[in-house]
Amino acid sequence: MSIIAILKEALLGSLSSMWTVVKIVVPLMIAIEIIKDLNMLEKIANFLKPLTRFLGTSKYSIIPLLSGLFFGLLYGAGIIIDSVNEGNMKKREVNLVIIFLASCHAIFEDTLLFTEIGANGWLILFSRLFAAFLVTFLASKTKYFKDDNVNMIEVKNETGAK
Amino acid sequence: MSITENTFKRGINKGAKTIVYIGKVLIPVYFLVTFLKYTPIMRYIADFFKPIMHIVGLPGEAAVPFVMGNMINLYAAIGALSALELTAKEITIISVMLCFSHSLFLETAICKKVGVSAWMIIVLRQTLAILSGIILNIII
Repeated sequence: MSIIAILKEALLGSLSSMWTVVKIVVPLMIAIEIIKDLNMLEKIANFLKPLTRFLGTSKYSIIPLLSGLFFGLLYGAGIIIDSVNEGNMKKREVNLVIIFLASCHAIFEDTLLFTEIGANGWLILFSRLFAAFLVTFLASKTKYFKDDNVNMIEVKNETGAK
Repeated sequence: MSITENTFKRGINKGAKTIVYIGKVLIPVYFLVTFLKYTPIMRYIADFFKPIMHIVGLPGEAAVPFVMGNMINLYAAIGALSALELTAKEITIISVMLCFSHSLFLETAICKKVGVSAWMIIVLRQTLAILSGIILNIII
């Protein structure tokens, strides 16, 4: 295969992949802004409150969980820092929420992107949500995450600096 | 608050910024992997990773998008994946694995920043990726 042919394949292929990404990311970014401006998270949060009992967390965990699930880990972590600074979230809860979000976050973007390149989106979504719930549930039952014990890594105050 | 013209402006603005960012990652990775495909290097990589990738039902060269996804981010993984030819089953398996474990440097740093153990998060995500790969290889 000639170098020109390889270059052509790389150029056309990468541009077509970019188009795939653009088609998903731009509408998604607009959708996210709409969700924020309509305060939809708060409305969904009320509805989903019972789920936090299963995860072993308080009602304060629901907005960080939803933000991370919808908008990504970075966004979820930002909300967690706010909650910690306001004294609403304790170390134990921060750990549980992060365990959940590390397993499953940005579900719309990731799922749509991989569906677009040929993966089974429902399987991706189900696997991630199932694993996140299971792992967080199990973690909340272990001694290590049972209560705010002293062995837990301190949530540093410096994290408040945004 | 309600939806205004600003809502859309912000969305399009963020979308455009994200696209530029993604392009800077995805396009070079796509070029790299396309070139690698036509060199013996890809054969070596594929042969080297074949025994490990076999456990999750993937060909050896699928190690490239997996490593790129973990070291860089999902856009790099998508660039690398698109340049390879995989079956629908293989794409689903590696997609789920990548969703569990990606952007390890950046995302572990975020977890650490809120006070969660970095090692716990890395071990958790790698375990989920490998287990999900093994299970999906059996059930689909």
